[in-house]
Amino acid sequence: MRKEDTVKLISAEGFEFVVDKEAAMVSQTIHNMLTSPGSFAERQHGEVTFPEISTTILEKICQYFYWHLQFASGKETEFPIEPELTLELMMAANYLHT
Amino acid sequence: MGGACSRKQERDSEDGLTRGLSRRYCKCGSLKWWTSSFSYPSVDFRIQKGECPSLLDLCIQKITEDIEKYDTFSMLPRDISQLIFNNLVYSRQLTIGSLEAFRDCALQDVYLGEYDDVNDNWMGVISSQGSSLLSVDLSGSDVTDFGLTYLKDCDSLISLNLNYCDQISDCGLECISGLSNLTSLSFRRNDSISAQGMSIFSGLVNLVKLDLERCPGIHGGLVHLRGLNKLESLNLKWCNCITDYDMKPLSELASLKSLEISSSKVTDFGISFLKGLLKLSLLNLEGCFVTAACLSSLAELPALSNLNLSRCNLSDNGCKKFSRLKNLKVLNLGFNVITDTCLFHLKGLTQLESLNLDSCKIGDEGLVNLAGHKQLKCLELSDTEVGSNGLHHLSGLSSLQKINLSFTMVSDSGLRKLCGLSSLKSLNLDAYQITDAGLANLTSLTGLTDLDLFGARITDIGTNYLRKFKDLKSLEICGGRLTDAGVKNIRELSSLVCLNLSQNSDLTDKTLELISGVTGLISLNVSNSRITNAGLQHLKTLKNLRSLTLESCKVTANDIKKLKSIYLPNLLSFRPG
Repeated sequence: MRKEDTVKLISAEGFEFVVDKEAAMVSQTIHNMLTSPGSFAERQHGEVTFPEISTTILEKICQYFYWHLQFASGKETEFPIEPELTLELMMAANYLHT
Repeated sequence: MGGACSRKQERDSEDGLTRGLSRRYCKCGSLKWWTSSFSYPSVDFRIQKGECPSLLDLCIQKITEDIEKYDTFSMLPRDISQLIFNNLVYSRQLTIGSLEAFRDCALQDVYLGEYDDVNDNWMGVISSQGSSLLSVDLSGSDVTDFGLTYLKDCDSLISLNLNYCDQISDCGLECISGLSNLTSLSFRRNDSISAQGMSIFSGLVNLVKLDLERCPGIHGGLVHLRGLNKLESLNLKWCNCITDYDMKPLSELASLKSLEISSSKVTDFGISFLKGLLKLSLLNLEGCFVTAACLSSLAELPALSNLNLSRCNLSDNGCKKFSRLKNLKVLNLGFNVITDTCLFHLKGLTQLESLNLDSCKIGDEGLVNLAGHKQLKCLELSDTEVGSNGLHHLSGLSSLQKINLSFTMVSDSGLRKLCGLSSLKSLNLDAYQITDAGLANLTSLTGLTDLDLFGARITDIGTNYLRKFKDLKSLEICGGRLTDAGVKNIRELSSLVCLNLSQNSDLTDKTLELISGVTGLISLNVSNSRITNAGLQHLKTLKNLRSLTLESCKVTANDIKKLKSIYLPNLLSFRPG
């Protein structure tokens, strides 16, 4: 995996998730951060910090990114969501336009 | 976080009757009743097969499934709790128990029209939304006057819909008298509201739209509308208590654009009070006791573009004055005793886009007066004496999109005169004398989306011509001459949404097998055929089906229910059932 094809997503607790750019761009918000000329910090370093998203939730979101890519390529499986995560996950999904 | 969600607002969504289903699919008789008895909140998302659901959608779906696990959503941003609420209502999962979780959620819209079991006990949570609440629909609920007291503090409300709430009376009106931000208020079919109760309307100075359809006790109450100088739309349809006396206060409503007083007791004299309404563009006088004499008053309404005078007992007498209504775009003269003489006076109304002459005494000669109406999009000639010679005069109406020739004298060969109408989308040929030969003359009309051949004598041979109509969304062939062989051609019409093949008593289960691939179908009727329970399995693939009618077949309600519960979740209406 080449570094420029990946992006580092950092949770509130400082955990780092390295994911394919293609996957991360499933989120419209991340897509905008990485492509709009105004936000060069994220673009230059390929790093986005989410001070309001916990590690557990960010991990789930990363799973969703890859699930989404799979779905788009025709593999329609179910995406499991643990009931105790739902509310927090939903707020994050809303923020990330995901 | 939060606040990023977009929320579509349908502030002036007509009457909510056809929410969730486009109006154009409401034509079939079998669909009529249920589109008027169900309404849905506007749902911002929908999980469709093939389209990847967003994480937000998945979460909402998950919450809907486990709704009893949640005590409160008040910590969520308002937009998100609104989405959850809407989805619960849409999927009919919201109960008085789960409603509690929405206390103090700052919801903006509460659309519970026609929702089961809504009563005063729901009002506490609804009112807890406080000044966030903008729009409430409690139509068809058991909410009483007492229930409305809860709304007193929801002072931001701009839209309140209380149709068919038969436990609400003048006292309830008192409770909403302080809601001066209201722009839209609706109380259809309320027997208790009286002139006295209507006095509170004078304080609702921001009202733009008021709907009092089918309120029989409001005579004398319209005086309280006098100061409502923002009022644009007033619906008083089927208020048969309304008389000329009630028209006088309306003369001061300078903003009024739409007035519907059909089936009231208003006469020519009452209409004379409307003369000063310079913005009035729509006037519905269907079934009123007016004569052509009222046309003099109407000629003084400069903005009038849409006029309904159907069932008014108009005769040719005085019809000359129609020629003064040059701005008319929509004119309904159906069910009047007018003849070709009257049509002569419509010759100059070249702005007309829609003309309804249903059941009038007009014939072929009269239609020559319409030959110059190049703007005409919709022409209703059902039950008239029009025949093939008359169609000749219509052959140049290049804008024509819809024509109804049911129960006319038009013959197979006469239909040739329609073949150049390339804009035509909707054609009604429900007439006994029409046969396969007639269809053969129409194959150039490839833009057709709606074709009604209900009583025409179409056989399997005729269905070969249907293949030309690739965009067909609605089709009715009920003349009794079709067999399964003909359905083979129909299954190729992949855009079909409504299909009525009832009365064709030779159709068998094979028919259902053939149309199992027409997956866009929303409504299907194959009544009075040889279809059996065994054939139902072929319908599994029709996931969009909302209405299924198989009367007088060897099919039981139980078998349809089984099919619905496993395979057809969208099925709302079915017969037998």
